[in-house]
Amino acid sequence: MSTSKSHNPILHEKLSNGLTVIGEVNKSNQSAAIGYFVRTGSRDETEQESGVSHFLEHMIFKGTEKRNALEITFELGNMGAQANAYTSEENTVYYGAVTSEYVPHFQELLSDMIRPALDPQEFETEKKVILEEIALYQDRPHFYLFERAMRDYFAPHPAGNSVLGSTSSISALTRDQMHAYYTRRYAPSNMVLVATGNFEWERLLSDARLQLGSWQDHSAERKIERHSRSPISKTYYKKNISQAHYLLVTSGASATENHRYALSLLSLIIGDHSGSKFYWELIQKGLVESCGADNDEKDGTGVFYAHASLGPERVSEVKEIIASILAKPLDFSDEDLERARTKVISRIIFNGESPLGRLMSIGTQHLYREKVNSLTETVEAFKKITRADIEKALAEYPLTNWSEFTLLPEENS
Amino acid sequence: MMIKTNVLANGLSLVVETIPHVESVAYTLFIPGGIIHDEVSRIGECLLLAELSSRGAGDFDSQQFSNALDDLGMRHSEGASQDRYEYRGLVIKEKFQEALRYLALMVQEPRLEDSEIAGIKSLLQQDIDALNDNPARRAILDLTSRYFPAPFNRSSLGEKEGIDAITAQTVRQLWHKCYTPSGAVLSLAGNITYEEALELVLKLFSEWKGASCPAPQFGSLAVRQHSHICFESAQLQIAFAYPSAKIGESHYYPAKVATEILSGGMFGRLFIEVREKRGLCYSVFSRHSANRYTGTMMGYAGTTPERAQETLDVMVRELHYLHGTITEEELTRARANMLSALVISEESSSSRAASNASDYWHMNRVRELAEIKDAINQVTSAAVYQCLDRYSYHELSLLTLGSKELVFEREI
Repeated sequence: MSTSKSHNPILHEKLSNGLTVIGEVNKSNQSAAIGYFVRTGSRDETEQESGVSHFLEHMIFKGTEKRNALEITFELGNMGAQANAYTSEENTVYYGAVTSEYVPHFQELLSDMIRPALDPQEFETEKKVILEEIALYQDRPHFYLFERAMRDYFAPHPAGNSVLGSTSSISALTRDQMHAYYTRRYAPSNMVLVATGNFEWERLLSDARLQLGSWQDHSAERKIERHSRSPISKTYYKKNISQAHYLLVTSGASATENHRYALSLLSLIIGDHSGSKFYWELIQKGLVESCGADNDEKDGTGVFYAHASLGPERVSEVKEIIASILAKPLDFSDEDLERARTKVISRIIFNGESPLGRLMSIGTQHLYREKVNSLTETVEAFKKITRADIEKALAEYPLTNWSEFTLLPEENS
Repeated sequence: MMIKTNVLANGLSLVVETIPHVESVAYTLFIPGGIIHDEVSRIGECLLLAELSSRGAGDFDSQQFSNALDDLGMRHSEGASQDRYEYRGLVIKEKFQEALRYLALMVQEPRLEDSEIAGIKSLLQQDIDALNDNPARRAILDLTSRYFPAPFNRSSLGEKEGIDAITAQTVRQLWHKCYTPSGAVLSLAGNITYEEALELVLKLFSEWKGASCPAPQFGSLAVRQHSHICFESAQLQIAFAYPSAKIGESHYYPAKVATEILSGGMFGRLFIEVREKRGLCYSVFSRHSANRYTGTMMGYAGTTPERAQETLDVMVRELHYLHGTITEEELTRARANMLSALVISEESSSSRAASNASDYWHMNRVRELAEIKDAINQVTSAAVYQCLDRYSYHELSLLTLGSKELVFEREI
């Protein structure tokens, strides 16, 4: 697969206080996307702070020294900003897209929001919303299993910390604890401002200097440790669910290792939703409702996982099939590799057609790696991967020693 | 926008939008059919047929066909909704000719192999089983089944007994009956000219023949109903629906604006009053949907049982107080957000193909952005109030799913 077009260069500047600003201008777009990507998440929390990164993400929308919550909400609405935010174990991201004329205004608003007032009354109201979000996910068994499995797989490594926290940790959390966390983790050198699409790079840079240039930097380093463990097997039970959920986890490549390209292609060969080994052995035969595999690249560590959702009566049969597929990761043809490569390159190009798609790719890349690849460079990296590269990756990460997690309806216990 | 349309001699409508700066071309194909056309004893057969059509076509068996699509790096889906079969695809422009050839094979020469049917049945039945594991989705489907008239009230997942009853013979009959070009819409968008598209489509689809199957009559909506389903879960689900403007009606754009004021972005009244001011829930929204038969205003919130009564009360109160209280600022914000969302969401070829197909399906034409913009900008608060007079929330039917029944006062 080739791309016919040369893609836009990545523009890059580091302000004197350590804030990185990255841009990719595409004047063919009618809109632009802007985001602050902060290198912090649940793995950076203490036990007492469990859930604070995500709760803080909500509080960013609840007022600053200059604007109250309603003013922020209405300003976003007035410019038609399609804005949102998310928190993971490792990153907290505030982003949105606007039509081109609103870029300076949206940038100013986001830059103000990233310095929140953490109003005590808003804190208490939003706490109730967070507790409702925790309740919502308690009713989603797939999420329920992943959260518990990652906690148990990683313990005591913090990469398995819950993003939402628990009802008790959130209930006990104080505004002062959140403020302390914010002060510790939010620093110019621990975040990146990214813009993509139709905007003016020089204006973005000068506004960034004006808006955040006076923010004093401090070190917000994260302690990085690789995690590996001897296999564990756990079964959880939950009332009132219909399907069983099954998850296998083992060591995979981290976000900074070149092996991630090879393992990413291998995960498509094994578990993509079409044409993969899982597809032919499980989906096409109707044995599972859904399944997949992925190399989840994390900061300094990584996991390779495989999962399936299925009728509880088929758990043993499906476990055997998955085990037999995973036991022979090199059992694929040259055509399988080419097909996976074509898929991944197409997906990169499709996602790159919208400013938001590019924003997410560039921002998350920079959180893990100083050098951000242009779309062309990312495509080239996947083009070079050979069977020998996958063999080398498997020598490092042999996809053995699987930890196994199963969630079953409680009646089966 | 560079959009051209054409109706082929066999009744297939072609819509082409050229977007020179993208590297891809996307297609959306709608064929009349879907859940409302399934035999009452085999509800869900259209879902099986759509999936089966992608498992081998022309000279390709299931594996060869899947590999052929994957070799193009194609993103594609095949499915059926309430009143149509839906085929969507996205591919790099150099591969588009081949991609469209495979689409033509899926609809005109599917192999419909017996050996694939059992596996697909199992997948569809597991989807139905999984409904309990997503209470929000279940609540909306349960509301749909009570609110809409048969056969428009059928679950989009089909029925287990109906899926059981499907045979190789019945599914072939359904394909013969429904997979015809008359009334079908093929929408292409991306790096392709109209002339290239027309030549290709004429080559691949001219021989496709047959008359479309007539849609059933649309009956009466079950308004002013109140149902509760006992279900043990952390949250209680609240879902409601009431009639609103359908496509082509003068109240259509005012209904869209009213929904935006109630539920747009983070500034909608429901979000602010229910979530931001009171912290009653995480997820709350209303949405307006419309087709050629009816328009529907639907609302949803999921919340823990102890907060559910207050959540419902506040939601109904906001529906009530919408009339007569819309400010010019709210109106401006709603318009800005709707227009911006249109521009931003439609940067990609796949969203353009889908949105053009949908327009043509409902209206036999494609709206230019300027037309939509004018229509939205012309909506006044008076027009919204007229819409609310015509389509009152008093008609709403409510469904709750969870551990506690709620009291619903229709009059404030």
